[in-house]
Amino acid sequence: MITRIGASAVSAVRASRELWMVFVSTIAGLLRRRSAPRGELARQLHAIGNKSLLFIAVTLGFIGMVMTYQACLQLGKVTGDYTRVGSQFLRLIVSDFGPTLTAMMLATRVGAGIAAELGSMKVTEQIDALRMSGVLPIDYLIVPRFVACVIMTLVLTIAGSLVMFAAGGLTATVSFGVNPQTFFDLGAVRPRHLIMLAVKAGAYGAAIPVVAGFCGLRARGSSEGVGWATTAAVIGSSFSVIILDFVISAGALWVTGGDL
Amino acid sequence: MTAFVEWRGITKSFGAAPVLRGMDLAVTRGEVMFIIGTSGVGKSVTIKLLVGLLRADAGEIYFDGSRVDHLPESALAPIRKRVGMVFQSSTLFDSMTLAENVALPLRKHHRLSQKAALVSARERLAQVYMADYADRYPADLSDGMRKRAAIARTLTLDPDVVLFDEPTTGLDPVSARRIDRLIRELADRSKVTCIVVSHDLPSIFGIADRIAFLYQGKVHALASPAALRASPDPVVQQFIGGLSTGPMETPGF
Repeated sequence: MITRIGASAVSAVRASRELWMVFVSTIAGLLRRRSAPRGELARQLHAIGNKSLLFIAVTLGFIGMVMTYQACLQLGKVTGDYTRVGSQFLRLIVSDFGPTLTAMMLATRVGAGIAAELGSMKVTEQIDALRMSGVLPIDYLIVPRFVACVIMTLVLTIAGSLVMFAAGGLTATVSFGVNPQTFFDLGAVRPRHLIMLAVKAGAYGAAIPVVAGFCGLRARGSSEGVGWATTAAVIGSSFSVIILDFVISAGALWVTGGDL
Repeated sequence: MTAFVEWRGITKSFGAAPVLRGMDLAVTRGEVMFIIGTSGVGKSVTIKLLVGLLRADAGEIYFDGSRVDHLPESALAPIRKRVGMVFQSSTLFDSMTLAENVALPLRKHHRLSQKAALVSARERLAQVYMADYADRYPADLSDGMRKRAAIARTLTLDPDVVLFDEPTTGLDPVSARRIDRLIRELADRSKVTCIVVSHDLPSIFGIADRIAFLYQGKVHALASPAALRASPDPVVQQFIGGLSTGPMETPGF
C-alpha cells in the first residue's frame, strides 16, 4: 500500500516536472521563433478560433440567458428591483465568467483536439521522425498552437462575453420586462475588470495547449493510449483553468485590497 | 575489423519489465546487419537507443569511435544527420506533400531554403521511383509507396548508417523484395551501413551480411545467414523454423 502511494507520488512529481519542462520549452521555442511550418499559425488560428466561434457563442449565450433568468427570478422574490442586474452581470462576465467559461469550452474542444493529434503522432512515431529530421517537436507542434490559443482565447472571450451579455439582456427584457437601457448599463465595469479579463484569457490560452500538448506527447501504445491522452488533456486543461481562475482572482483581490 | 556502431552491456527496462539485459553488439562499416528475434525482445529499442530516441539504463553506445549514449538531445543533431532511420509505419507527415516531407530534413539539418530543399527532394524521390508522386499527400498512396518515400526522406541527408525498423512489414511480397533490393544496393553501391530490424525470413536470409538473434535481452547468436541456418542451437532453429513448440520462452504465450 505504502509502496503504491509512494510510486504514485513519484509519478505525479515526475509528470509535474515534465509539464513544467513543456511549458519552459514552449516559451524557449517562442523566443527562438523558428521551426514552425509555413502557414501553421494561420491554420491554428482558424482551427482554434474560427471553428470554435459558434460553439462558444451558443454555449455562452445560453448560459447568459439561464443566469439572468435565475438572477431576475430570485430578485423578483426578494426585492423586485432589477435596476442593477445588467451592470452587475456585466461586471461578473468581464471579470470572471467570460474568460473562464470560454476557456472551459476551449479546454474540451481545443484541448482534446491537440492531445488527439499529438498523441496520434506520438504512437505512430511521427514525433520520433520529426526529431530525426532535426526538428524540435515542441517548437514545431506546440508553439504555433500556443500562440494561436493565446490570441484566440482573448478574441473568443470578448465575442463570447458580448453574446452572453446580449442574451442575458434579451432574457431580462422579454421575461421580466426590464428596460433595455437599464440592463445594458456599462457603469459597473472598471479598467481593473478589463485587465482581469485580459490576464485570465491570456493565462488560460497559454495553459490549454501546454497541458494538452504535454498529454499528447505522453501518449503510449496505440489508439487506447491516444484515448487516455485525450481524456487526460480535457480533464487537465479544464482543471488548470479552474486553478488559474482561483489564483488570478485571489491575486487580484490581494492587489486591489478587496476592491474588485 | 573495428566496429562502426557498437552497443556495450546495454540494459533497458520499461517500468518493471526488463527488455535488454547487458546486450553487446558491434556492426562494421558498410555491412547489412539484421537484428532478429520475437516481438518485444528489444530489437526496435536497440536501434532507437543509438539515435537517442530512447535512453539506456546502463551500458555504452559508440558510433564511429565516439560515445553517443550520454549526449543531450541538443547534441544529437550531428548524429542524426549521419544516422538515418526508416520507421516501421513510414511516419510521413500527413499535412505535407511527399516532396515537402522529404525536404524537411534538408531544411532543418542543412539549413537549405525551401526552394532548394524541394529541388533536392524531387531528385531523391526519383531515386526510389516516386518522382511522379512528389506533389501527392501520404494519404493518397499505398503502404509500399509511403515506405519508399520514407526511405527517400531518410536518404536525403546521405547518412553513413540507416536503421530500418521492420521495413517490409505489411507490404506485399513484390514490394517487400524491392525494399530488400534497395537496402542491398545502398550497402553495395553507397557503402552505407544498414541495420535492419525484421521478422521477414526471405529478407533476412536474402540480403543480410550478418544476423544478430536477440533472445532474453542479449544477442543469443551472431552469424552469417548460412551459419545461422546451420546452427545446432534449438532456440535458433525454433525461431527460423517458425515452430510454435520448442525451448524458446515467449512471454505472453
